[in-house]
Amino acid sequence: MKLLITGASGFLGRHLVAQAIQRGHNVRAQIRPASNIKSLGWENHPRVEIIRTDLRSKAGLDDLVAGVDTVISNAACKAGDFYTQFAGTVITTENLLQSMANTGVKRLVAISTFSVYGFLKMRGGELLHETSPIDEDPIDRDEYAQTKLVQEALAQEFTTEHQGKVTLIRPGVIFGQDNLWTARIGMELGTDRCLIVGPSTILPVTYVENCAQAIVLSAEKDEAIGQTYNIVDDNLPTHRQYLTVLNKHRTPKMKSLPMPWLIMRFLAALALGVNKLFLGRQAKIPSILRPAALHARCKPATYTNKRIKDTLGWSPQYDLEEAFNRSVTDHDPAALAPESASNQTNTDADQEARTCA
Amino acid sequence: MHKVKSAVIGTGEISAEHLKFLANSNATQLVGVCDLSRAAARYAAKTFGAENFYTDYKQMLDQAKPAVVHVLTPPQSHVPITTDCLDAGAHVICEKPITLGHDRFTDLYKHATSKNRKLIEDHNYRFNRPILHIEKLIADGVLGDVMEVDIRMALAIRGGGRFADTNLPNPAHNLPAGVIHDFITHLSYLVLRFIPDPDKVSAAWTNHGNDDLFKFDDLDALLIAGNKHARIRFSCRTAPDCFTLTVRGTRAEVQTDLFHPFTRLIKPRTGGEKLSPVVNQLANGLSLVGSSLTTLTNKLMQRSPYEGLHTFLDQTYQALNNDAEPPVTFDDMDRTSRLIDQMLLEGNRV
Repeated sequence: MKLLITGASGFLGRHLVAQAIQRGHNVRAQIRPASNIKSLGWENHPRVEIIRTDLRSKAGLDDLVAGVDTVISNAACKAGDFYTQFAGTVITTENLLQSMANTGVKRLVAISTFSVYGFLKMRGGELLHETSPIDEDPIDRDEYAQTKLVQEALAQEFTTEHQGKVTLIRPGVIFGQDNLWTARIGMELGTDRCLIVGPSTILPVTYVENCAQAIVLSAEKDEAIGQTYNIVDDNLPTHRQYLTVLNKHRTPKMKSLPMPWLIMRFLAALALGVNKLFLGRQAKIPSILRPAALHARCKPATYTNKRIKDTLGWSPQYDLEEAFNRSVTDHDPAALAPESASNQTNTDADQEARTCA
Repeated sequence: MHKVKSAVIGTGEISAEHLKFLANSNATQLVGVCDLSRAAARYAAKTFGAENFYTDYKQMLDQAKPAVVHVLTPPQSHVPITTDCLDAGAHVICEKPITLGHDRFTDLYKHATSKNRKLIEDHNYRFNRPILHIEKLIADGVLGDVMEVDIRMALAIRGGGRFADTNLPNPAHNLPAGVIHDFITHLSYLVLRFIPDPDKVSAAWTNHGNDDLFKFDDLDALLIAGNKHARIRFSCRTAPDCFTLTVRGTRAEVQTDLFHPFTRLIKPRTGGEKLSPVVNQLANGLSLVGSSLTTLTNKLMQRSPYEGLHTFLDQTYQALNNDAEPPVTFDDMDRTSRLIDQMLLEGNRV
C-alpha cells in the first residue's frame, strides 16, 4: 500500500512513517520546506519518498496526493495564536481534502484528538467512548481544541461531499521521547515543581509507537472505514502514578503539590462566577481556571480502547514502563536502518527530497 | 432603526476586530463574510453571526448586496477587489496600505468619487485614546507649537511568528518595502497628524539580517517641514516591543506608548522654572502608577491596542449614515500615501 503521511517530521509523524515502513508499506512523507531532513530517522530509506511542501498553500498539492492509496492526515499546529493554529490545522486539512477530491483519492485516516470531546457536560467518572458527545460550544476552550473541532468536521464532510472512506482517530495524550510531560496532569510551577490536579484521576495516555501502530493498522483495514477510534494504552496510570514513573527517569525530580479535583473545580467555578458577575465575562482567565478547559484537561473519567481492539485486533505493544524505557534512551525509536541496496526500488534521485512548487 | 448592510472580505487576524465591531453594532447588519477558504469563511460567519458566507466575493456582492464592504485581504489585492465593490455600489472601508503607490490610490479614489461612493482607509491608531489626548493637548495650547515628532515601532518579527516563517513566506514580504510596508501606514498617518506637510524626506531602508526572506528589517526616516523635524523608526532588534510617540512643542513635551498606554507630559508647572522638573516627575509618577493599573486591566479584560479601530469604525458608520465626511478624509489618505512613496523613493540616498 502507498501511504501519504502529512506532518511527517512531527512527533507523531516520524513514528507513523517508521511504523508504516516496518509494516511493509511505501510512504510518501510530507514535511514542510524548512524542516530538518537529517533528524527524521528514515530519510534515507528506499521506501520513503520525502516531499517538501506547505499544506497552507494549494500549490503542488494535487501532485502530492496523486497516486497514493491512503492519506494519513496528521499535520496540525499546536502553537501560536488562533489564526496561526487555524491556518496550520484547518486550512492545511481543507487544502489536502480538496486535492484528494481533485485526484480521486478516497481513503482518509484523519488524526483528531480527545480534545474534541465535551468534557464539561460529562459526569465525573463517566466512561469516555467514541460516541460520547463532542464539544458543541468550544468558545471557552483553547485554540487547539477549537481548531481540531473544525478540522474533524472537515474530515467528516469529506465522507458526505466526496464519498470519502474516512477513519477518525482520536488519541489521548501521546507521550514519548522528548514529550514526557503533559499539562493534563496539572500545571508546571517552574522547572522542578508542579501542581498535580486530581492525583488519583486516570491519565488517558498512549505511547507514541503504540499510537502510530494503531493508526497504520486503521489505514490497512477496510473494517476501519467509517469508524472513529479512541486510542489509549492498557492499564492507564493515575496522574500520580504517571508522575512517579516520570520522576524515575527525570533529573531533577519533579516535586508535586497535590490539588484535589473538587477544590480545583470549585476555584474554576468561582473564577467563572466572578468573571460573569463583575467583569461581563470579558476577563482573560488562565485555562486551568476556566471550567471548560479545566474539565477537558483534568476531569476524572474512565477510558476504553475496546472498539479498536475488537474491530482491528490492535493491542498496545509497550506498557508504561517499557514505553518510558524506550523514551529515555539515546536510541531514537523512530530511526530505521536503510534496507540493503538489493532491496531498493527507488533510484538515488528518487530518494532526494523533492520540493512541490 | 435602519441598519446598514455590511460585509467583510478576508478573514485573517485583523478581521476579528472588524467582525467584533460589526457583531456588536446596532447600526449594522452583517450580511456576509467572504474568504477563499470555505472553512475560514464559514467559521467567521458562525462565530460573528453573519447571515451567510462566501468564497467568491463577486457572488457575495451580487447576492447579499452590502452597502459597506470591509476589504481585509492582503494589500496586493486591494485595488481589484475594492474596484469591484465600488462598482457594485458599496462604500469601502479598506485595511492599510490601501494601495501600493500614490498613483494607484488617486486613481482608485477618483473611481470611488465617480461612483458616488466613499473610500476609507483604516487609520485606527489615530483613534486610540492616547493620540486623542495628545491632539487635545495641542488644541488646548498646552504644547505650544509642535516642533518635533519622534515615532518608533519596535517589533521582534525576526524571532518568530508569521513574518519569520520560512516555510510559507508571508505575502507582506513581497510588498515594495517588504514587511515594513505592513506597518508604515500607521507610522506615516500618525506623524502627519503633527507635521502635516514635510518638504524634505529622507529614509534609510536596510536589511541588517542579510537574508533573502526580508527585503528590509529597519527603517530610519527623517522628515523636515520648515523648522519642524520628525523621525520615523522601525526596528526589529530593540526590545521590548513598543509603539512610542514623542511630540515636542515650544512649551511642553508629551510621550506615549500605544502598546502599553500611558501619557507622560512635561510642561511648566506650579512652582516656577526651578521646581517644575520636580513637580513634573511627581505628577508623571502618579500618572504612571495609574497607567500600570490600566495596562493590567487591559490585559485582564483582553483590551488590545486595536481599541481605536472600534472608534474609527463607529465614527465612519455614523458619517456614512449621515452622508457626512468620514473621519479619515481624502486628504489624510492622500498625504499618507504620498509620504510612503516619498520615503521609498528617497531610500537610496542615505
